[in-house]
Formats: sequence, C-alpha cells, structure tokens
Amino acid sequence: MRFKGCALDSCNMKETLAIVEKLHKEHIIGSYAVGGAVGAAFYLEPVATLDVDIFVLFEPAPLILTLTPIYEACAKLGYQPLGDAISIEGWPVQFLPATQPLVAEAVNQAESRKSADLTTRVMSAEHLMAIALQTGRAKDHARLVMFIESGIVKMDRLHDILTRHSLLDAWTKFEHRFLKP
Amino acid sequence: MTPEMQKIILSKDSERRRLRELPWIEKLEMLDRLRDRHLWIQQTKPIQIANIPVKVP
Repeated sequence: MRFKGCALDSCNMKETLAIVEKLHKEHIIGSYAVGGAVGAAFYLEPVATLDVDIFVLFEPAPLILTLTPIYEACAKLGYQPLGDAISIEGWPVQFLPATQPLVAEAVNQAESRKSADLTTRVMSAEHLMAIALQTGRAKDHARLVMFIESGIVKMDRLHDILTRHSLLDAWTKFEHRFLKP
Repeated sequence: MTPEMQKIILSKDSERRRLRELPWIEKLEMLDRLRDRHLWIQQTKPIQIANIPVKVP
C-alpha cells in the first residue's frame, strides 16, 4: 500500500546497511554492529523505528574520540548530517562509540549476516537483551518481553553476559515485575 | 476468556510468529514500510470528527 504524500522508496534499509559495510571495508569505521530496534528486528517481529543505531569500536582507543572522519566520508558519498545522525539512504543513522564494556563485547561478538548483495553485522539476541536491561526504559522492557516470548533466547548465554556485567540483580527485578504473575 | 477472544489471541500469536520467522532481508524491507507509515500518520494528524462512544466488554 502506498501512502499519499509519502514516497515508499524514500528510505531503503538494505542500502543503508550496505553503505555502513562499505565504510567498514574502507576502514572509515572499525568493527561495528547493528543494535537497538533494527538489531532486534533481525530476531523478532519488526516494529516501527525512526533511526538506525550502529555501534562502532574504536581500537586502539584514541586520545580524543571523534566522529569527524565518518561525517567527512559520508559527505563525500552525498549523505548529510541530520541532527545527531547522518541521513543515509533515507534512514537517520547514529554512529555510537562502543566504549562501554557490555556494548564493546556485543560488537566484538556480533554475528555476520550475508545475503546475495548485502553483508552486515548484528548484535546477538542475548547482548541486545542485556543492553536493553541496562538501559531500562519502558520500550526496552517491552523488547525484553518480546525476546522472552519468542523462545529464541539462549538463557545460559544470557546468564553469562548478565553475570559478567553485574546485571543479575536488574534481571531478577525485571523477572519479578514482568514475567511472574 | 471467550472462545472468540482465544481465537483472536491465537491468530495474533501465529501472525507474530510468522513475522519473526521471515527472512531477515524481508524484515529490512518491512522496516522501511513501517517507518514510512509511521511518518505519514504523524504528518496527517487524524482529527476526531464525531464523538462516538464505544462500549468495551
């Protein structure tokens, strides 16, 4: 269905992720992983989201962390800043430094997804859950419930991640509040 | 819970399962459509033209 006044070809997630992968291949960005709602969509039913979160490792850690090279490379490709994101093929893309240990681990252990014309990297379901638990907004809790209901979660892997990053107490509280009647 | 409600819940659950099991490439295309629809709804700002009470069982 085409909505009047709204060009359906105005945003193209496949092309957006292809550009992110191109930036990685050309060493503009280091290891990266798709997180947030788009990352969750790889595992769950897709829900409406307005931007793409790309978490990027900066290794070795620079004295001053700057995203300027990313902005410059995107500008050369014709993609302009849009607030604190860059508009790439119609999608606002936020490049987020993976400086926090849980997020850095999630990027390091991200899973590669390949199709005929696209390669991308996405955080594991368990890391997406741990980050959602750590962030703790209402929509993060809703996403956690969706992950549990999906039945795809490797609970032993999740438990390991939560233990390593001191999130077991937060998980217990979440369980009592949302999963147990 | 009435049988009709159970039927609705089961069909919604099976639809959610179907969407979860879509190939990831198709899910990316869905994200495009969902975002476009979301932005269109924001732009059109539907207005209430009649005050119609709705009974909820």
